[in-house]
Amino acid sequence: MKISTPYLILILILLLISNQSILYAAPMSFKGSITSMATVGKDYISLESSFVITSKDAIGIRAYESKGNGYNLRAGGIFHLRKLMRINAINSQTNLWLFTGAGTINIEKDLRDKDYSYLSPTLQFDYETKRLFGLISHQFLRVGHENFDTTKIEGGFSFYETGYTETQPWFILKAKNTNSIFSKVEYTPTLRLINKAIFIDTGITVDGDPSLHMMYTF
Amino acid sequence: MKKVILIVMVFFTLNSQALTQKIEVLGMVCAFCAQGIEKSFESANNVKAVFVNLEDYYVAIESKDDKGIEEKIIRAIITESGYDVKKIEVVSESVSEIKRKYESK
Repeated sequence: MKISTPYLILILILLLISNQSILYAAPMSFKGSITSMATVGKDYISLESSFVITSKDAIGIRAYESKGNGYNLRAGGIFHLRKLMRINAINSQTNLWLFTGAGTINIEKDLRDKDYSYLSPTLQFDYETKRLFGLISHQFLRVGHENFDTTKIEGGFSFYETGYTETQPWFILKAKNTNSIFSKVEYTPTLRLINKAIFIDTGITVDGDPSLHMMYTF
Repeated sequence: MKKVILIVMVFFTLNSQALTQKIEVLGMVCAFCAQGIEKSFESANNVKAVFVNLEDYYVAIESKDDKGIEEKIIRAIITESGYDVKKIEVVSESVSEIKRKYESK
């Protein structure tokens, strides 16, 4: 299955304009809470935990490993998450986020490896209602002479509306590319389940690789 | 005399009713987000019960006394949780009645 990026963006836009109701996007929970996440795929793993210090800021730690195209990246560091903008409407929420990560990264290529420090900003825009969800993000990660920028586009819908205490299932199509690491855009049809403090994404890429993303707020 | 005291106590107990406030919230579109509002109200002073209704975008809170929760406190909790208040009103039903009515729909 091959879907071009412009076609995917068109689908996302159509989804966003075709329904008024929506979903979850915010990577930040409420003040004083701790949110922990784990993302596991065939060629990557990421673990992070963050603490919300104000209604607009969270700080956290993150470790990840990613490989592909002969590269193997291992990184660890701290990050600051800032909610730059939120527009609350009666049936929707629109957000603009800035993640700023800093730490050390080990890059292994052709049996040689080297450690670097990194500073990596990410901008994320998302929109959600109780039935629809859309997200676009871009992470800048330039280390040495390499470009490991990551772009993500996600969009989807929930199968039906649920009450506050019920589990809500979603279908989300994720598209992701990391420069230098990915040889092509990775598309992952995903089943998302949300139940108050728990958020689980399980998907299989179009190449047949499973992926799992879990989030829990304490 | 004891009977009189008992009657007076019963009278005051029956009349010290809790107050229920219904808050319409802007941006409350998912349970994962709304739990912050619920937890914040549950830990606030003078709050006896909280009910979140995602379908109709409101939160109902019941106070321990008949004074209710100050509007500025309600607004601060909602704002700190990342949302905006559309409207706050006092309703005659208790939180358990609102919940019962919702569950029987």
